[in-house]
Amino acid sequence: MSDRPTDADATAARPDAAARPDAPADRLDDSRGPEAPSNAPSFRVLLTAGLIVSATLPIAAFGAILILTRLGTDDQVVVPLVIGAIVAAAFFGLLVAAVAVAGLTAPLRRITTAVERVAAGEPGPPIHVSGDDELARLAESHNRIAAEAGRRNRELGALLVAVARYNPDRGVDALRVQAESDACAIYGLIDCSVWLGDPEAISREEAIPGDPRPVRAEVRSGGDTLGVLVGHLPATRAWERADQDLLDLFTSEVGVALRNAELFGQIESQNARLVELDAAKDEFLRGVSHNLQTPLTSIRAYVDQLRAASEEAAQDRRLLIVAEQADRLTRLVRQLLTVTRLEAGVLRPEAEVIAMSPRVRRAWEALNAGSEFELRDEARGWLAVGDPDQVDQVLWALLDNAVKYGGRNGKVEVLIAADETIDRLHVTIADHGPGVSEADRDRLFTRFSRGATQASGEGTGLGLYVSRQLLLTMGGELWLEPARDGLGAAFTLSLPGEPPGDEG
Amino acid sequence: MMEHRPRRILLVDDDPSLLVVLAEQLRDDGYEVATARDGQEALRRLEAGWPDLILLDLMMPRVDGLAFARHIKAEADLPIIVLSAIDTADSKARLLDEVAEDYVAKPFHYPELRARIQRVLRRLGDRIPRQSVVLGPDLTLDLYRRAATVAGKEVRLTPTESRLLQALVAHLGEIVATETLLSRGWAETEEAEPSYVWVSMRRLRQKIEVSPDRPNYLLTVRGAGYRLVASRQDV
Repeated sequence: MSDRPTDADATAARPDAAARPDAPADRLDDSRGPEAPSNAPSFRVLLTAGLIVSATLPIAAFGAILILTRLGTDDQVVVPLVIGAIVAAAFFGLLVAAVAVAGLTAPLRRITTAVERVAAGEPGPPIHVSGDDELARLAESHNRIAAEAGRRNRELGALLVAVARYNPDRGVDALRVQAESDACAIYGLIDCSVWLGDPEAISREEAIPGDPRPVRAEVRSGGDTLGVLVGHLPATRAWERADQDLLDLFTSEVGVALRNAELFGQIESQNARLVELDAAKDEFLRGVSHNLQTPLTSIRAYVDQLRAASEEAAQDRRLLIVAEQADRLTRLVRQLLTVTRLEAGVLRPEAEVIAMSPRVRRAWEALNAGSEFELRDEARGWLAVGDPDQVDQVLWALLDNAVKYGGRNGKVEVLIAADETIDRLHVTIADHGPGVSEADRDRLFTRFSRGATQASGEGTGLGLYVSRQLLLTMGGELWLEPARDGLGAAFTLSLPGEPPGDEG
Repeated sequence: MMEHRPRRILLVDDDPSLLVVLAEQLRDDGYEVATARDGQEALRRLEAGWPDLILLDLMMPRVDGLAFARHIKAEADLPIIVLSAIDTADSKARLLDEVAEDYVAKPFHYPELRARIQRVLRRLGDRIPRQSVVLGPDLTLDLYRRAATVAGKEVRLTPTESRLLQALVAHLGEIVATETLLSRGWAETEEAEPSYVWVSMRRLRQKIEVSPDRPNYLLTVRGAGYRLVASRQDV
């Protein structure tokens, strides 16, 4: 209709709207409640309806009085006028309501968004609401809650970072000191100490207003109480249930770390002790081997000299036996030494090219077994790759076994063959003895195991174990061939091979 | 191969009985032998004149064997054969790479020791460089510590490979006959054949050449032997 009444009534409507903050507050309360009725008229509708009623009611009343008291000179004029005024007032109320709702709900929307954000765990900047009415107080209390949630989030983050660094290998004392300084940094404590032992030994302090506030949390791991963390907060700092929970979380992590460090320390010291013992054993064996091998060297040298002195001496079986037994002893001592080196992991075999056929023959001759021997070389020109000294040890052990378990006058057969597809050389050493029983097959390559059928006391029980381990360090393998009728045990050693070469 | 002058050997071992019998055996084979029971005595013997070769037990008392060997090597390129209860597969033996020409693990058979002595004496006159030999941008040999650097990466050489390269480096750019390489790389007791050299050269190329199929350094001279050259691509 006209602009004038709008202006006048808008100013009149504002205090009216501003004076109803209980409506939005109620709505907030409702929405916070878990069972807020979903069909309740919204704040916006209520406000609009209220404004329309408050704008139209006086006019309607005024019109009614006019009509009833017949003060109006002409019904024909008054009635339409009153109806027109009521309609205009209704429109005006609607307009004012729209503006008021927009103005009123803006801070509410801001608060709602901020609360939702905090609920989702991502606090934003504080909300600014001017004035000191309920809305402003609501915003302020939200800001405080958000700030605390933010602080606890930061504390939790710092806590997680701190405990992730608690490696057990740092030791109990270092971890304890670290936990103390971390607790101070994370929770803003003035001082802090972690006591290990009965927590009751540390008496509880009373909180005295104005003095630094004491805090306390037990350090636990599993069901055990390891000690207690005590410290002080600045007097101005709030300390709530959630803060205590966070501190308890921290001390439980510290407890686990301390327990781990304790166990780790025990393992460390046991390890150190074992390493010490191992080194002592190694040194002992080194000394023994030196002290055994040096006299063996002179025995060997003197026997050689004696046997070279005359034709008669060269034929003397007694001298031959001395020489052979000295060699045998030498090999056994070397085998023992090899075991210790294998276990210490200090064996570093060379990868030299070696011809297997002459090596097998020499190893056989050194054994001087006297039984029948057949060597077939189906890999002419092939060279194996391995450490010559170690390969000699393996060949000696396998040939020695073949003689020992091959039965009286048992023939020993050796076959050298190449697998050209994978460039490997296989040496199979077979005897004609009783073979290996099913029961023995599984534990054949373990330490100190002998065939059950074999009388104990022969050999060290180390031969196959050492051979297999040596071959493994050289990229080789050792296995027992499947049992065959009429034949004894057959072992195959495999080594990387080099196909026959030319000058190229 | 008799020499016009007997080769001199200094034998150092703490076991007197071994010292006596070994000295006798070596003298029987025409060597001139001096003996010492410990490092101090050995140093005194050296004052009277340097031998061609030292046979050394590393576990001797007083002056530590390794320190003694280092002292010798600092003075001159004198070949040392270590007689030891430590064998080559022991990681401690690696410490000896820089000082020992060869190892003979105790106990040994005299013929084996003699074969090793002969092999070492064959290289007399070939100087083993005590520092790196740079053959090209992607190959440096450090034979005194049995290693090579190939395109920036370190490669370990076996004792045999190292001996073969020593013979080739001593005659850099010249042809070294397969027979010569055979006698440098292997002792007589190993009954080596030319194919040992061929296969070893093939393996060496795999180790030290950037493209083994088109070698830059280790070249074959068909029917004659091998040649080690500085890189042709060298600028």
